[in-house]
Amino acid sequence: MAKIVLRRVTKSFGQKVAVDDLNLEVEDGEFVIVVGPSGCGKTTTLRMIAGFETPNMGTLHIGGTLMNHVPPKDRNLAMVFQNYALFPHMSVERNLSFGLRVRHASKKEINTQVHEIAEMLGIRPLLDRKPAQLSGGERQRVALGRALLRKPQAFLLDEPLSNLDAALRTQMRFELKRIHAQFPVTTVYVTHDQVEAMTMADRIVLMNDGELQQVAPPETLYAEPVNVFAAGFIGSPKINLVSARIDHSSGGSALRCLATAIPLTTEIADQLRSAQSETVTIGIRPEDILPQSPMDDTPGRAVVSGTVEVIEPLGAETHIAVRVGDDILTCRTPPRSGLEMGSTINLSFDIAQATIFDGTSGLRLC
Amino acid sequence: MSADQLVTTEREVTAPAVVRKRRSLARPVLNVFMIVIGLVFLLPLLWLILASFNPTADGTLAMPHPFSLLNYHLVIRAGAGAAIRNSLYLAGVSTVIATAVSTMAGFMLARRKIRFKGLVLVLILFLTGLPITLLLIPTYQIFVHLNWLNSKFYTSLVLASMSVPFSIWLLKNFIGQVPGEFEEAAAIEGASEISILFRIVIPLIIPGILVAAILTFINSWGSFLIPLVLDANPSDTPGAVGIYQFMSANGQVQFGQLAAYSVLFSVPVIILYLISSRWLSGGFSFAGGVKG
Repeated sequence: MAKIVLRRVTKSFGQKVAVDDLNLEVEDGEFVIVVGPSGCGKTTTLRMIAGFETPNMGTLHIGGTLMNHVPPKDRNLAMVFQNYALFPHMSVERNLSFGLRVRHASKKEINTQVHEIAEMLGIRPLLDRKPAQLSGGERQRVALGRALLRKPQAFLLDEPLSNLDAALRTQMRFELKRIHAQFPVTTVYVTHDQVEAMTMADRIVLMNDGELQQVAPPETLYAEPVNVFAAGFIGSPKINLVSARIDHSSGGSALRCLATAIPLTTEIADQLRSAQSETVTIGIRPEDILPQSPMDDTPGRAVVSGTVEVIEPLGAETHIAVRVGDDILTCRTPPRSGLEMGSTINLSFDIAQATIFDGTSGLRLC
Repeated sequence: MSADQLVTTEREVTAPAVVRKRRSLARPVLNVFMIVIGLVFLLPLLWLILASFNPTADGTLAMPHPFSLLNYHLVIRAGAGAAIRNSLYLAGVSTVIATAVSTMAGFMLARRKIRFKGLVLVLILFLTGLPITLLLIPTYQIFVHLNWLNSKFYTSLVLASMSVPFSIWLLKNFIGQVPGEFEEAAAIEGASEISILFRIVIPLIIPGILVAAILTFINSWGSFLIPLVLDANPSDTPGAVGIYQFMSANGQVQFGQLAAYSVLFSVPVIILYLISSRWLSGGFSFAGGVKG
């Protein structure tokens, strides 16, 4: 096991900066998931850790050793590729034992370890088959087995579940968590799937345009996003982002948006005043917006009226999209709420539960 | 249904019928044409086989009467067997050398970042087009200087070098088709560059290597000028030179023996094709290795 440290790492391909001034520490045994949209630099980061790309600037340490120019074969890492990368001319057994064979391990040791790992992953009956004779899930297990077999100092996983169907993906998520609990090896896992990130990670590394946006445990990232991008990327359905103008008048401060004026508490008003922002973006999670009820008369709770545009029943809950002025608010409601498309509805939310971002920089204000 | 729609439907039905009629006429004409072309190529081959079993063969196409192996017996006694063995040596050694060198060079050119790679590739492509006659005199001078004349091994080195540029291009393109993830997966598992080449890349491009090897073998097998100039040792004479000497040595052309010599000379190449066809027809298969 090893700690992975990236200091001011930059990687460019021609004029295109893929990773820009990245600082990241992955602790010993930690399960870190790098997440972000396509082209954000997450795979380049993983490939630099693996040794397939060399940083243009900055340093990369694994287990305390500077690794910038150490070839992949000498890094003692294991990697699971998005497309499996199983050797098609070798049987499952030879695929699993490849790393041990190139390291000239004894036949007895290879045999014992291959059978142990095959038993653990439930692929023992497949040992004599070629990759072409396996299903997608079985191939992914073999790829995982190959990575696990060598007991590396860190695991690198590049979107390992993206080629599996939804049911198998859920099953493999559990399996990966179980394996990590059993072998708590430092793991860097790249995905664009926020559900994988939220459900599996000890910490999430969020990237966009080659830059690190936020590193935090899943709950923190969800509840306290540092900017509009982080708020918008994490959460399904997406957070509601509404532009608002701050109005500091003698009667008290308010946010003008959604065709109304939402009064602010003194604490929030002071924070916004000190930030000297004139416009802000309010982020309200769909679960924080409720159809109006008697308790919404409590002070600080804003009430807006709109028209139901879309209803998405999901079984356990229903998502509704409500047009309020020029904005659309999405909220979660209980199933069988009796709402109809086109009907008018009053929604309420507590501005204290919302996240407020600077309208220009997009950074979180409160 | 409106009148317009009816007209359109009728036209759609009749149009393919006309096309079908045209096609039905074109096919037999095309078949006859192809049979004629096929016969043009087949007749000399048929003559060769029939004449090789005919002790009194001449330039005409005739059934052997009596059917005899005398021509084969005579040409083997005249040294055809030894000449074919020499050809096997020259072609075999040059194929092994050229394929080994081309595989490694193709791997580096396909996979590694090399300075001036584009220029190197253009230069190699240029070399594939150089005529042998242009290189023969300087090569002969080098051989004289190094005292390499009359050696089968050094002659086969030259034969190998003639095939290397084309083989490099061929194998570079074959290796380029192997998904890079296989090599990356092997590298992260601890495999060295040479181990990746031998354990991963070569097994995956065996059909491509066979194509390169067969082309080199056929080139060297039929090579006439290089062994004629560089190896004057009579015991080293390969088949291609042997046929020429056989034709000119007997004053009068013995068609039957010449045909038997030619058949014997063709047999190893045909066997090579038959053996390798199993791999050649397989093509590359990365199935199951990577998704999609």
